[in-house]
Formats: sequence, structure tokens, C-alpha cells
Amino acid sequence: MLATISKPRVLLPLLSLVVVVGGWELVGRSINPLLFAPPSVVAQQFAELLATGELQRAATITVQALFLGYALAVVAGIPFGIVMGAWERFGDILQPYLYAIFSTPRVVVVPLIIVWFGIGFEARLFLVFFWSAIAISVNTAQGVRHARPDLVEVARSYRANRVQMARHVLIPGAIPFVVAGLRIGAERAIVGVIIGEMFLQIVGLGGVIQKGSEELLPAKMLCAVVIIATLGTIIVTLLDTFEKRFQNWKGDAA
Amino acid sequence: MSARSRKDVRRDQLIGVAVFLVLWEVTARALDNPLTMPPISAILAALLDLILSGELFLALGQSIFLLIVGLIAATVIGFVFGALIARSQTAYWMLNPYFSALFVTPTIALVPLVLVWFGFGFPGRVIVVVLAAVVPILFSVASGLRDAPGDLIDVARSFGVKGEIPLLFTVRIRAALPVLMAGLRLAAGRGVVGMAVAETYLRLGGIGGLIKSYGAMFQTDYVFASILPLSLLGIGLVTLIARVERRLHWT
Amino acid sequence: MKDATVDVPAIELRGIRKTFALSDDENAQRVLALDGIDLSIRQGEFLTIIGPSGCGKTTLLRIIASLILPDDGEVMVEGETVREPGLKRAMVFQTFGLFPWKTVIDNVMFPLQVRNEPAETARETAMHHIRQVGLDRFVDAYPHQLSGGMQQRVGLARALSTGADILLMDEPFGAIDAQTRELMQEELMRIWQEEQKTVVFITHDLDEAVLLADRVLLMSRGPGRVRETIPVELPRPRFDYDVRGHEGFAKVRGHLWQALRNDLVEQRAEETS
Repeated sequence: MLATISKPRVLLPLLSLVVVVGGWELVGRSINPLLFAPPSVVAQQFAELLATGELQRAATITVQALFLGYALAVVAGIPFGIVMGAWERFGDILQPYLYAIFSTPRVVVVPLIIVWFGIGFEARLFLVFFWSAIAISVNTAQGVRHARPDLVEVARSYRANRVQMARHVLIPGAIPFVVAGLRIGAERAIVGVIIGEMFLQIVGLGGVIQKGSEELLPAKMLCAVVIIATLGTIIVTLLDTFEKRFQNWKGDAA
Repeated sequence: MSARSRKDVRRDQLIGVAVFLVLWEVTARALDNPLTMPPISAILAALLDLILSGELFLALGQSIFLLIVGLIAATVIGFVFGALIARSQTAYWMLNPYFSALFVTPTIALVPLVLVWFGFGFPGRVIVVVLAAVVPILFSVASGLRDAPGDLIDVARSFGVKGEIPLLFTVRIRAALPVLMAGLRLAAGRGVVGMAVAETYLRLGGIGGLIKSYGAMFQTDYVFASILPLSLLGIGLVTLIARVERRLHWT
Repeated sequence: MKDATVDVPAIELRGIRKTFALSDDENAQRVLALDGIDLSIRQGEFLTIIGPSGCGKTTLLRIIASLILPDDGEVMVEGETVREPGLKRAMVFQTFGLFPWKTVIDNVMFPLQVRNEPAETARETAMHHIRQVGLDRFVDAYPHQLSGGMQQRVGLARALSTGADILLMDEPFGAIDAQTRELMQEELMRIWQEEQKTVVFITHDLDEAVLLADRVLLMSRGPGRVRETIPVELPRPRFDYDVRGHEGFAKVRGHLWQALRNDLVEQRAEETS
């Protein structure tokens, strides 16, 4: 059983990788190796960028802004979400604004960010922080408010006081929601850092893409895209796994 | 812990909006810096100007057209590959990793490549919307068709429906509709982002282009006045799909 | 049994009336759920409550537990009027009400933790009751790793660990498969006899109502009222012989079914007219 599943799991993706890379190489090479950047050209470019240290520098800048902004979002977003959830009126009043901001594409907010924060580090940090923090606090608030009524009743029937109610029922019940918020927030943070680097200050991995675009070098852009995609996949997969661990905490009250 | 009634929530929100608008107006006038914070009255005047000049509707029309074409293309592509992934293990293991990677890669990072490969014309812009929106549709089609209700399939079979294709249309798609709509709802949200990205990065056009050009002229009141309809467009579309979605739940 | 208080009923209800609003509007229409319930339950008695769905059985039990308050009337526990949940009553819930983030032992210890009992004695008490319901091998398991029957054993152990004299059980075996349910009934009987508890047990299963009870209380609906109470005088322990084949069992069951059936037929006539 296990062998029959695990074999295609490794073999088929590998096979498809070979087909895609091979096909791309052949087609790209035969049409225009500069414009269509076959994998061999991308690899060459990658080695070059590594040798000059450009890629490492760019990745460091991106990761710094990403982690600092995200960390701030976590630190601010969770307590704020708890307040929004516990003080229901406050949460209800704020909800529409957060929803509206969250639904607005960030590229169109860039002009406002330029007039408010300029184009430097603070501006990029804000792009990472703000949307990520909204995702985290909205989800946290939801978790705080959506305590399972059956468990609240159990605790009440055993005379739990407010503190005990929070400790045994409300906080553990909210954790799966908080973790979901952390994942959505991370996705937002990754997009935010790249927007900042492409539209504000041309630095970091987003900057590498932007420069590649100006120099008409798709191979250079692809190097940065691959790193961003890998970084994103690792972060989101980690948080996804973390989230799944809390899945059976939600349960259902029949 | 009791939930607050809808009426109370509505009333609080209305008061909240009123307070917010007044506070903004007063603060903006006190600051007297229309570049960073134009007063609400100036934003409304800009909005009125955009409406009366016809600029807003022209831009919105272009945007909505791009969005709809992009979402239709994304739905078709998502459906084909989603069905393939759902019904074939081989296709799943060969294709899924690429779509997962596409899902976590910011669309904005791919736009310069689209520009180089497909140009900044309409096809290029549609491709950007598709790249943003296709994965949620694809994943929802895949999961909806994979978890087809076995008992309903058996019922259909026992009444003489034969073959994968008739089963697909009589049972599977109908049973998967709620999941498909949820995917479409996510896709619509991301599609609006893709649309805005395409319109600001490729050739300036539509509502995204409008915002960017007013931003370049540092006319913040006009920037706000054109962001507002864009947000409303996104929220309206998602709400609409969510409403259809709720009606499709038969349990 | 405590000899000094033996004459005092474990639970006494006087004129319980409860209405519910149809919406959360303040002047919304209200429906009458329970109307003038009077009831006295002896110490050590096993009372089952049965009635058509919507007759307010669960509402009544929640009022006895003081989880909700009646509009009118009084709940007295061992002679004292109560208005909030107390240590003498412990509830077992239909959907088990286990904390998914707590292991079996932590779930059972919860009421003791809430009371700030020292961890050592709390643990001992909890272990005792976990053993009593036969779950000693699953002390550190999480609820989602247990079957429905086992989960409800945890619910029962938790209620027992409080040391309450009165167990309030809200269709505790309703969500459990038929065969496991029979075993659970047998075990509950055994524990009840060991521990000399007063039990108020809601059910919608006629057999279960008769099988367990000293007395069956039959409720009628719209509004919920006590229709009649029927003593069940079958020899105990009841699982030592074929209790369902006993003449007395058939008689009580038949009587209850006739009454219930009349209620249901009336309800259908109302709904179709």
C-alpha cells in the first residue's frame, strides 16, 4: 500500500520536471534563447548573480523586511484581535474598514503610501506589516468570538469563573483561528514585500525582477521568481502543517 | 457571550461611519495638507468630478471587461486542469506542484515576465488576471470532483446513468457546485488584484491606470476618489458570489 | 445516605414556567416552552423523562442545572432554592462536551481544577473515576482518538469526579450506536447503585426510559407539561435477567407508547389542518 503510493509521489513529479525543463530548453533555445530563457541560460545567470553576490544581498534585504514586518504584525495583530473579539461592539464597528482595506489591491494603494511614508524602508515595512496584521487580528477576533457554545455551557455548569473560562475554553478554542490568521498573514506579507520592492524602492528580490525587466533579461527575473516561490512555499507549507495540527481542536458541536 | 443582534450591529456601524467621516474631515482641515490627507469633502468633490466627466465609468468599464474576460478564461482553464487532476492520479502528481507554486508566488512578481513574453496589450493583461485567479478555481474543481458523493453516484448508476461523462454532468458537477462557487469567490478577489496589477504595471488603463496617473500627479483626493470604486467593485463581486453560494447549499 | 436529610427531596420544582422569544427583538412574540411544572425527586431516585420532540425536556433539565433561569417558579436542591449551577449537581451532555485540547485525565480533572483542588488529590479522584468507567488504558488519549461510547464514558467520569449527589443527564446515549448504548446503560445502572446518586435522565427512547427508571415522567408538548408519572417496579439489578421479557416491562412500555402516540397523532393533525 505505502509503496504503491509513495513511488508515483516521487517519480511522477520528477518525470514531469524533466519533461517541462527539457521541453522548455528545446523550444526556448530554438526560438530565442535570450528572450525565452531556457533553463540552461537561467542556471548560468543564477551562477553569475551568485558570484557577484547580487542575489544574496537582494535576498537578505527581502527577508529582513519580510520578517521584521511579519513579526510586528504578529505582535500587534494578536492582541488587537483579542480586543476586537472580546469587545464585540468595537469589533463590529471596525470590521467593515478592515474588510475594505483588505479587499483593496495593494498596488493601487502605492501612491498613498508614497505620500505618507516615502519610498524607503518604512514604506516597505508598512506594506508588509499592515495587511498581514489585519489578517491576523480579524482571524483572532473571529476565534475569540466563536467559542463553542456547548463547551462554554460545560464550563458554566461546573462553575468556571471568567478567568477559568478564558484559560480552559476561550483561548484554546481561538488558537486554530489564530494559526489560520498567521498563515493568511504570511501570504499577505510575502506579496507585500515584493510590491514594495518593485514599486517603491527598487531593492531586494523584487528589485532584481524590476531591473531584469528594464534590462530585458527574463533569465534574471526568473532567478528571483524561483527564489521568491521557494521562500513562499517553505513559509506557507510550514504554517500549513502547523495549522493542521490544530484541526481537530475545532471539532463540531453536532 | 451572547451574540449581538443584527440591528444593534447595523446601528453601531452607521454611527461609526458617521463619526469616522466627521473625524477625518476635521483632522484633515486642521492638518491642512491635502497631499497626505485630503478632507472627505475634497474626495467627494473629486469623485463627483470623475463621475460627471465620464472618466470613472469609462475606466470602470475597461476594468470590468478585463476582469470578466480574465475570470472566464481562468474558469475554463481551471476547470480543464482541475478535472484532470481530480480524475487522474498521474496528472495530479505531475501537475499539482506547479499550481501550488503558482499559488504562493505573488502575481506581481510574474508580471514583468508576462510583459516580456506577451507584451502589454489586452492578451498580456488577461494572462495576468488568469495567473492571479486560476489556482483557486482549479483547486476547488479538483477537490469538488474528487470528493463526489459515492451514494449519489450509485443512485444515478442504479437509474441507468452510464459512463464517466454523463455522470460528470448529471451528478458530479451538481454535487460539487458549492465548492466550485467557493473557489470562484476566492478567484474573484484575486482576479481584482490581478486586474489592478495589470492595469498599473502593463499599459495604464482602466481604474488601476486612473489611480496610478493621479498618484503620479500627487492628486491625493483623486487617488482616494478612484480607489473607492475599485474597492467597492471587489467587495460587490465577492458578496454577489457569496450570495449565490449560500443559495446553492441544499443542506 | 445522609440520614438527617433523607426526607428532603433531592430536587423539587415548583410552578416552573419558561417562555422563549421568537427573535432577539425586545418586544418579539414569545412562545411558552414549559408551563407550570411541579415535580419532586427523591434522594437516590432514578427518574427518566420522556416526551415528543419539542416538549421542553432539555429546557427543563437546563433549568434544573440552573444553566438557564425559569420565568416563574423555583428550583430547590436538597431543600434550598438555587439560582446558579452548584456543586451538588453535575451534568452529562448529549454531545459529550469534551475539550478537544485536553486529554482524558485533564477533561475529568476539569471540574476539580475549577474548584482549585490540589493537583495531587484531583488527579487521584479523576483516576478513580476513569477506572470506574473502564478507561484506565486511555488516560492520556485525546477525545478525537476515542469512539462515541468512550467519549461519553469520559463525560460520565467527569460528572462523577465532582462528587455531586445529583447527575443530570441530557440524552447521554442518544449519539451512541445501539449495541454500545446497551452496555453503557448496564454500566450506568451499576455505577448508580454503587454510588447512590440521584439521576435525572432525559431520553427519547421508550425502552431506555423504562429499563433504567424508578419512575418515568411523561411530558406533553405545546406547551411542555407533565402528562403523568409512572412508577416502574421491576426487580433490580435489572441486567441479571431478561428485563424486556418481563411482564411489567411490556405493560409500562405499552402504556407509555399509547400516550406518546396520541400526542404525536394530535400533532400531525394540527400540522396538516
